[in-house]
Amino acid sequence: MKNLADFTIKSFHDGLLNREFSALEITQEFFKHISVRDKEVGAYLTLLERDATIQAERVDIMVARDEAVPPLAGVPFAIKDNMLIEGVRTTAASKMLESYIASYDATVVKKLKKEGVVILGKTNLDEFAMGSSTENSAYQLTHNPHDLGRVPGGSSGGSVAAVASHMAVAALGSDTGGSIRQPASLCGVVGFKPTYGAVSRFGLIALASSLDQIGPITKTVEDAALVFKVIAGKDPYDSTSVDRPVGAFEMGLSKNNLEEVRKLTIGIPKEYFIAGLDNLVARGVEEAIKKLKNLKFEIKEVSLPHTKYALSCYYIILPAEVSTNLARFDGVRYASVAAAEGHIKNLRETYFKNRGLGFGVETRRRILLGTFVLSAGYYDAYYAKAQKVRRLIKNDFDEAFKEVDVILAPTSPTPAFKLGDKVLDPLSMYLSDILTIPVNLAGLPAISIPVKKYPLQDKELPIGFQLIGKHFHESDILNIGQLYEGLE
Amino acid sequence: MITKKDLENLAELARIELKKNEEEKLLADLEKILKHFEELKEVNTSSVKPMTGGTFLSNVLRDDASDNRVSNEKAIESFPNKEKGLLRVPPVFE
Repeated sequence: MKNLADFTIKSFHDGLLNREFSALEITQEFFKHISVRDKEVGAYLTLLERDATIQAERVDIMVARDEAVPPLAGVPFAIKDNMLIEGVRTTAASKMLESYIASYDATVVKKLKKEGVVILGKTNLDEFAMGSSTENSAYQLTHNPHDLGRVPGGSSGGSVAAVASHMAVAALGSDTGGSIRQPASLCGVVGFKPTYGAVSRFGLIALASSLDQIGPITKTVEDAALVFKVIAGKDPYDSTSVDRPVGAFEMGLSKNNLEEVRKLTIGIPKEYFIAGLDNLVARGVEEAIKKLKNLKFEIKEVSLPHTKYALSCYYIILPAEVSTNLARFDGVRYASVAAAEGHIKNLRETYFKNRGLGFGVETRRRILLGTFVLSAGYYDAYYAKAQKVRRLIKNDFDEAFKEVDVILAPTSPTPAFKLGDKVLDPLSMYLSDILTIPVNLAGLPAISIPVKKYPLQDKELPIGFQLIGKHFHESDILNIGQLYEGLE
Repeated sequence: MITKKDLENLAELARIELKKNEEEKLLADLEKILKHFEELKEVNTSSVKPMTGGTFLSNVLRDDASDNRVSNEKAIESFPNKEKGLLRVPPVFE
């Protein structure tokens, strides 16, 4: 049997079909590994051993009967705990939803189940996906598997840490301002945010509806493409989802296709190499650029002049949407907060007590900030202004994409930082998203790829770079990404 | 720029009970964040149309018909407080 660390979706599928192992054996191995390793990493909030075992047995029967086995069948998966699985507790890492049991499957979960994926459990996140370190979870800390004293990034920190420490082969995360790509960069795995509208968000607990997108977290770009192909597509339950052909990128690159891919031009936005960019990150990204130059890609500098305003723009628009989306958590629907019970005399107190005790510090801060920027007298100066700046940021990308096909930039300004370093200073935490946010504001697809593959040297921290594509041109970034990972 | 009274009003609008000892830190944090937003004043947006969402679709329609993706029983089951197949909610009028 293979080492769990060696599994990709592709190698799992091949091994399964060649009868090198059964899905059940591997599922059991994963739970064994989780029972030890997750004590120090803290990636999972809920484990689903019983359901996973039943599903693995189903896949083994398919294999035994020589039925067609889909590429993702039997693959051990982790799901971020802000996506619904029917009959399973879904907390969004908030005390507000401590006792909430989902009554239906999110569309992405439904699609994965149809493929025969084995869901191992639900993973930790910053409460309602608000944060960049997973320290805002109401339940537990998640540690970076490369250095347990450091954060895994966030908000999809649990999903990313699970894949990086071989406690899942792949995972789903959600990315509103970098929540898939930033932790992927900090933990040395691949994190892919598709175009806004490419994947249904039905059954994702909404954070900011004009920005949220679900995407895969995997060990390779090839795996990310495999998962994307399964979860993409129009869904009548998410009116922003779009029917688009997902493009030719699956199962590696054919020779013809390879020549086509090499014709793509890559732009480097000078505004992303900012003053606060860590030396290690700058060097890592230069290394990636050099490798792509060696592959004979044409690389040129581009300008995205409004980049520096993206952070302010985002932290106005996001809290505004948060304050409205989270209004539904009133202590009456979904779940009530245990600590509030016995203190409530009337309806007004139901709201104040449940929301006061159920929401954590960062969530309250953003609801209040969002309420402020939407309030009479401030709306134009903040919210309306931010919407206009958002248009300018999108226009910047439109202009740049007239000259280049793909944009390459660092994913996070720093490698993984220490637990506790930024959690008390929200503005310094927000700055961790400075390089990922513009993509969400413009609705573009982007993938974070580790500069180097495992194993890293002792105490060496992973560095990621991101490839940003045109709207619905996922195939461009997935193809270049696969060429890049084929180098090693 | 943002006063203690403003903060209390925001908390009232958002229906969040604040803890006494958190107000000072919240005010300081919000102050710092709002100060950062001042940079947006440098951007000339006089002829820019606001971007009001993430999608470029318009008029996404569907049939005006119900469906049973989530059954009544399951929906009621997931509700915190229920009785005899009905949802129990706090009294609205006093």
